[in-house]
Amino acid sequence: MLKKVAYIIILILVFYSCKGPNNELNMPGYELASGDIQIPEEAMEDIIQNISSPIEMAALIKDLGLNFSDQYLSNLDLVDNYSSSFKMAYTLGMLGADLGYLNVYERTGSSVSYLAAINKLADGLKVSQFFDFNTIKRLATSNSNLDSLIFMSVHSFNEMDKHLQLTDRSNLSALMIAGVWIEGMFQVTQVSLSQKDPVLSEYIGEQKLILNNLLLILKNYERDDQFAAIIKDYEELKKSFSKVDITYEISDPEPVEQEDGMLMVVQQETSIISISDNVLSEIIEKTKTIRNKHQLL
Amino acid sequence: MKAKILKISGLLFLAMFLLNNVKAQEEQDLVQKCSVAAGADATYLKDFVVKLDAAGTDNRPPMYRQSLALRKNVTYRFSICNMEESEGEAVLRVYDQANMILSTWYPDSGKEFDKINFKCMKSGVYMVVISFKEGKKGEAIGILSYVSN
Repeated sequence: MLKKVAYIIILILVFYSCKGPNNELNMPGYELASGDIQIPEEAMEDIIQNISSPIEMAALIKDLGLNFSDQYLSNLDLVDNYSSSFKMAYTLGMLGADLGYLNVYERTGSSVSYLAAINKLADGLKVSQFFDFNTIKRLATSNSNLDSLIFMSVHSFNEMDKHLQLTDRSNLSALMIAGVWIEGMFQVTQVSLSQKDPVLSEYIGEQKLILNNLLLILKNYERDDQFAAIIKDYEELKKSFSKVDITYEISDPEPVEQEDGMLMVVQQETSIISISDNVLSEIIEKTKTIRNKHQLL
Repeated sequence: MKAKILKISGLLFLAMFLLNNVKAQEEQDLVQKCSVAAGADATYLKDFVVKLDAAGTDNRPPMYRQSLALRKNVTYRFSICNMEESEGEAVLRVYDQANMILSTWYPDSGKEFDKINFKCMKSGVYMVVISFKEGKKGEAIGILSYVSN
């Protein structure tokens, strides 16, 4: 009898862990509004690959020699109250960008509370199997292997995103990516306030391309009120980005073999981003307003 | 009889579940190994895990394609690692629309690279293409990293 019970439990556990996509959509507080998905799933995946990585913006900020500030990080106090998968996915993305920022600046001690919050959200979204909390926490607290910590953190986010797409939860994947983007944008724009840098201004200006891609994804779900609210805010930001000009100068790439035998290909074709100070200020202000508003959604 | 079927099904499901977990862990380890091989100055951004069949009767080698956004003023590193059991040798190429920007294998000169730096000067969408030499079947991992200036 006991054996039978054990097998039944195993079966339940296995079925639970292999739970199909439709079941996973029925999560507390949020279901996808009915409506056709306009972009095929494969194209969605392609577009999502073109949105910011949770670490790239932070790496760029650090490369420019700019100082760390915890003022650019999200408030964790609200995380405990989130029960809808909509809010959890969006915040997971935001915290992913924060974790990238903390890791790049080697603030691994401070990152533990962010790791705990991420783990909680990942658990709520049933993707925590891709976030090895204990290993990542150990790497963060031991402060011994930063490369492994960054790898594990970024890889976990990539895998969580892939899993959301594979389990027909591209809506949540889109939200997560949007969260990474808006938080990264907030960090970069706030940094640019404290230190003017042409590279940073260009970087902000070229986010025009990324925002267009992001809106393409989000608009698939615009029949949902919560998505519609986010889209409306991003459209407002898009208005400011429409004043950014991006032009191209065409030329062939130049391969150069380096002393260590590695090949370096330097692109000669360049993009020229024209962004006035006024437009930059407008984008900085709108980004801050939207990011702060969305934290409290 | 029912109990026996239940027993076998349970064990089968459990075995499949464990096998899946082991496979996922193995894949992560390989990705990490390949990302470490990209170099100490490179920060992992993305991976491309590729498994392709041999070319069909038309001799056209199957290809893995993935578009990705690269940004101006950033140096990226593309690296490729063949899996031990891979029959074919992987070649990673990057295209800007129809123009090839870089390749880990240049057949004319015979030069091969397991990693290549790319100094991006134009923000935009690029295409990563991975295939196997001579259209053999194979397994490989491509890594995109950020190289600190």
